[in-house]
Amino acid sequence: MNDNIKIEVRRLNFYYSGALHVLKDISFSMYKNTVTALIGPSGCGKTTFLRCLNRMHDLYPGNRYEGEIWMDDDNILDNDIDHIGLRSKVGMVFQKPTPFPMSIFENIAFGLKLMGIKKKTEIAERVERALKDAALWEETADILNKFALSLSGGQQQRLCIARAIAVEPEVILMDEPCSALDPIATAKIEDLITELTKRYTVIIVTHNMQQAARVSEYTGFFMMGKLIEFDTTQKIFTAPSDKMTEDYITGRFG
Amino acid sequence: MRHKKNPVDLIFLLVSGLASLSVIALIVGILFTLISESSLSIEKFGLWGFISSTDWNPVKESFGAATNLFGTAITTVLSILIAVPVAIGIAIFVTEIAPNFLKGPIGAAIELLAAIPSIIYGMWGLFTLAPIMANYIEPALQKSIGSLPLVGMLFEGTPMGIDLLTASVILSIMIIPFTASISRDAFNLTPAVIKESAYALGATKWEVVRSIVLPYSKLGVFGGIVLSLGRALGETMAVAFVLGNNHQITSSLFDAAATITVTLANEFTEADTDIYLSSLFYLALLLFLMSFIILALAKFFILKAERKYP
Amino acid sequence: MMTIEQVRKLKSLIALAFCTLAAFFGLFWLIFILGDVLIHGIGALNPSLFTNDPVPPGIEGGGLRNAFVGHLIITSFATLIGVPVGVLGGTFLAEYARGRKIARVISVLSDIMVSVPSIVIGTFIYAVLVKPVGHFSGWAGAVALAIIMIPVVLRTTEDMLSLVPWTLREAAFALGAPYYKVIIHVVYRAAAAGILTGILLSIARVVGETAPLLFTSFNNSFFSANMNGPVSSLTVTIFQYAMGPYSSWHSQAWAASLMITVFILVLTVLGRFILRWRYGKRPTI
Repeated sequence: MNDNIKIEVRRLNFYYSGALHVLKDISFSMYKNTVTALIGPSGCGKTTFLRCLNRMHDLYPGNRYEGEIWMDDDNILDNDIDHIGLRSKVGMVFQKPTPFPMSIFENIAFGLKLMGIKKKTEIAERVERALKDAALWEETADILNKFALSLSGGQQQRLCIARAIAVEPEVILMDEPCSALDPIATAKIEDLITELTKRYTVIIVTHNMQQAARVSEYTGFFMMGKLIEFDTTQKIFTAPSDKMTEDYITGRFG
Repeated sequence: MRHKKNPVDLIFLLVSGLASLSVIALIVGILFTLISESSLSIEKFGLWGFISSTDWNPVKESFGAATNLFGTAITTVLSILIAVPVAIGIAIFVTEIAPNFLKGPIGAAIELLAAIPSIIYGMWGLFTLAPIMANYIEPALQKSIGSLPLVGMLFEGTPMGIDLLTASVILSIMIIPFTASISRDAFNLTPAVIKESAYALGATKWEVVRSIVLPYSKLGVFGGIVLSLGRALGETMAVAFVLGNNHQITSSLFDAAATITVTLANEFTEADTDIYLSSLFYLALLLFLMSFIILALAKFFILKAERKYP
Repeated sequence: MMTIEQVRKLKSLIALAFCTLAAFFGLFWLIFILGDVLIHGIGALNPSLFTNDPVPPGIEGGGLRNAFVGHLIITSFATLIGVPVGVLGGTFLAEYARGRKIARVISVLSDIMVSVPSIVIGTFIYAVLVKPVGHFSGWAGAVALAIIMIPVVLRTTEDMLSLVPWTLREAAFALGAPYYKVIIHVVYRAAAAGILTGILLSIARVVGETAPLLFTSFNNSFFSANMNGPVSSLTVTIFQYAMGPYSSWHSQAWAASLMITVFILVLTVLGRFILRWRYGKRPTI
């Protein structure tokens, strides 16, 4: 395996319960310390694909995978893979902000406590660092004990990013993280994503092609459950090799 | 064109308005009727005198509510203590643990069981549970923890099966489906995506339940518990069979006792003097006020929970 | 030495095992009760139960015809009184008073009334309908049950009417219909299944009531359809027979319990079935 590859997907097929075949024969690789954007029309399978990477589909019965997803030296689709261990290595940020019903501080400490960190000073230190990394520290330093739901939507989403990076995962999955936010909050999160690639491998699903062009190094175009084209973002947006990709990014459909 | 109200429409509005006001009329009517019927007893014994007196003596015409309040309080609290953990366990099982093909059937079974009338529970308690309690459970309790200091006091006397403990157990079995059903509905208010984000951090199922689902639904569950408390408080038939209607305050759960409801059920038609009947109405008034306040509190919590997480 | 992750997983396993255990513990008792009623009840079922009136203990062949008929009459009259009041009241809250404070208040008070101890309703009716006339009566029992039904029917009606989309009403108004016609011809029709469910569930709720009948309709060991005098009911008979000393009484009490339970379960299942079929959701009461 190439040293720069973080995740390699080999002939992945995915079926929702009821044998609905939504991902068809997907193969490509995601590289360390880069942002990979997944674009495509609604219902094309990009979110479904993202949720394969932390075995989120296993929360619901009847879903089935075929193929392999190699993360470093493990095939994460193996039956004996430990979901909990996997998910602490792969963080996720959702479409809408998902603050837990607790204080800002506790939201971030939640994952740290799961890791078994008990020392108060260490937790406080890491909460602060996560909030700083998520560019939220200045706004929240004085209100750490306030209920997380009292933050604005953009702040809540950055809190969720802080929560995800506090446990220092290797990969961060983002499922349209800006779709519920206004342009200013979106710009802040996009800056943050670029910043994150220094330490993490980021995979982001987005509806917004300008966003994909702005933040990512690689882009995959999904349609009807298939990966139509995968290449550097520059190539996809300037000289796509597939007609369907070209139609989509030039706005002729989708 | 000038606005003119259709006369039939006006009639329909008035009739339906009156129908809905009947609820308020009933509450006010019940309150005033109970107060006026118990006025004789209120004048004679007062409020504090009535609720603090342990006398219940139709011959001497001396009445107090203390023994009834004692029975009501013990059976209600004990039944809630037994029912709540079981009900929450059921709710967690149904929402988080059970495989999908079991979720529907168990949920439906719980709701059907909540529809079974209390007299069935009461009769079953008399014929089936009371002998089991008297022959097996109560002697076992006496042998195991009955010799401990202080706690042992609760398990003194001859286990007869017609006592506070049996009544509380029946009552708890009866409110389990109800409490479980409300708790499940409260748990289901937790958005799936919030649970997913906890799982995405690597939380175990129990950690998600404890740190996300329970805090998220605690207001609703608490409201449900208070609502169950209100129901248990006013339950008559489930306890009437197995409590023995004995007006006394005892330290042992193996003794017969009386609740407000059981006293009313057993003695209302036997009351042969005005002051006796008036004292029974006084008991009914106390029960009405207590349960109304508790139910209103429960409603308050449930509404608050719904507002907080719509 | 276990890793922190293994400890967490073990903890989760143990806690979930306790929840599962609690669930089975609870379900065990409930199945026990139903099974017991079923076994004892079926053993005591025979035709004379439905065709004969009670005979003195010790004599063969008595039945509970009086109680079955009495129960039917009391419940029917309760339904006839309670349903119209409840449906109209719910209509007012969901239509004329929609969104107003008075609707909120009555709605909350009804929710409280649903759970007010039924024996208190019994004492209230005793004071207003039994004591003044000097004797127990079937009417008193029917009114007591009706009072229990009203808030149940009222709340389901309100909820079901609120589910009818407002645009449907607007479409009818646009044709020039007065409000009452809109309600009767459009709103009621759209919410019919839900209202019917509310009625079925409210009948299921009162048909098993005992406490409010104890000192209103009282009991009658003879056949009587005279609503001005004491009328026998199944539930009061169960109470009296089960507490009595005779084994023939006990088995008749079991049989009556079985009949009531089956009737209530059928009504409840039917109500939930209609609701699921029509709305694809569970009722809130």
